[in-house]
Amino acid sequence: MNCPDCKEKLDRYVDRELNSTEVLEVQLHLEGCPDCMDSYEFQTHLKRLIKHSCDCDTAPAAFREKLRQILS
Amino acid sequence: MAESQSQAPTTFAEEALTHLDTLYRGALRLTRDPDQAQDLVQEAYLRALRYQHSYQTGTNMKAWLFAIMRNLFWDRFKGSRKEDVSLDDVGEFVLYDKLRDEGAKPEADVLDKMAASEVVAAVEELPPLHREVVLLVDVEGFSYKDAAETLGVPIGTVMSRLHRARQQLQKSLFEYAVESGIVRASNKEMPTQ
Ligand SMILES: [Zn+2]
Ligand SMILES: [Zn+2]
Repeated sequence: MNCPDCKEKLDRYVDRELNSTEVLEVQLHLEGCPDCMDSYEFQTHLKRLIKHSCDCDTAPAAFREKLRQILS
Repeated sequence: MAESQSQAPTTFAEEALTHLDTLYRGALRLTRDPDQAQDLVQEAYLRALRYQHSYQTGTNMKAWLFAIMRNLFWDRFKGSRKEDVSLDDVGEFVLYDKLRDEGAKPEADVLDKMAASEVVAAVEELPPLHREVVLLVDVEGFSYKDAAETLGVPIGTVMSRLHRARQQLQKSLFEYAVESGIVRASNKEMPTQ
């Protein structure tokens, strides 16, 4: 695998959407390629940032209680 | 998918309510308004209860509920469309490469300095068709397949929308990073190859 191939698969690698053969190929490349490894770590970090920025919102307790009553 | 074994929810409604935070967050990001989000989620739950016979036990209830909520959103949204549904191709924009070009050490601290509120704002700026893919895949951790089923589109569509959404998101975050001084904008243009 070369860098363009790795780049092309990186999103799916980060999203855990590659099959096991592809995962091994990417891992092998990352271990030998600091540039792609850096890029991979950045993508992972970015995905985590998006998740944690958005998922701290939870339903207000009063709303949860209201729904519980409506639905029961 | 097995929820907790120890205290399994006893009724359909109770089980459905274990997914409330996911639905509420999704509705909040889609409507960008807490009151509208509550209305939307409440209506989604009422509809889910009414159509519970169409839910197949053992399948992904979170995805099923989310689909009901986003379909309701789109029904309303189409009636009062004020913004672009979709996204123009912004071209390849890779934040990592861009930061490198600007001489910032990307991984070190640029991302850590970004305020959560600004990241949320960047997500909410995405057109809803792209926003919902990011919500499912990045925020809620749906697989492409589950996202595709939830949205009623092929997996390839999920992937292309996600790709485009991420380009736009990275572009917005870069602009924010420059405007807020997290990244010092270089005056010198990078030499074009
Ligand atoms: Zn490489
Ligand atoms: Zn960090």
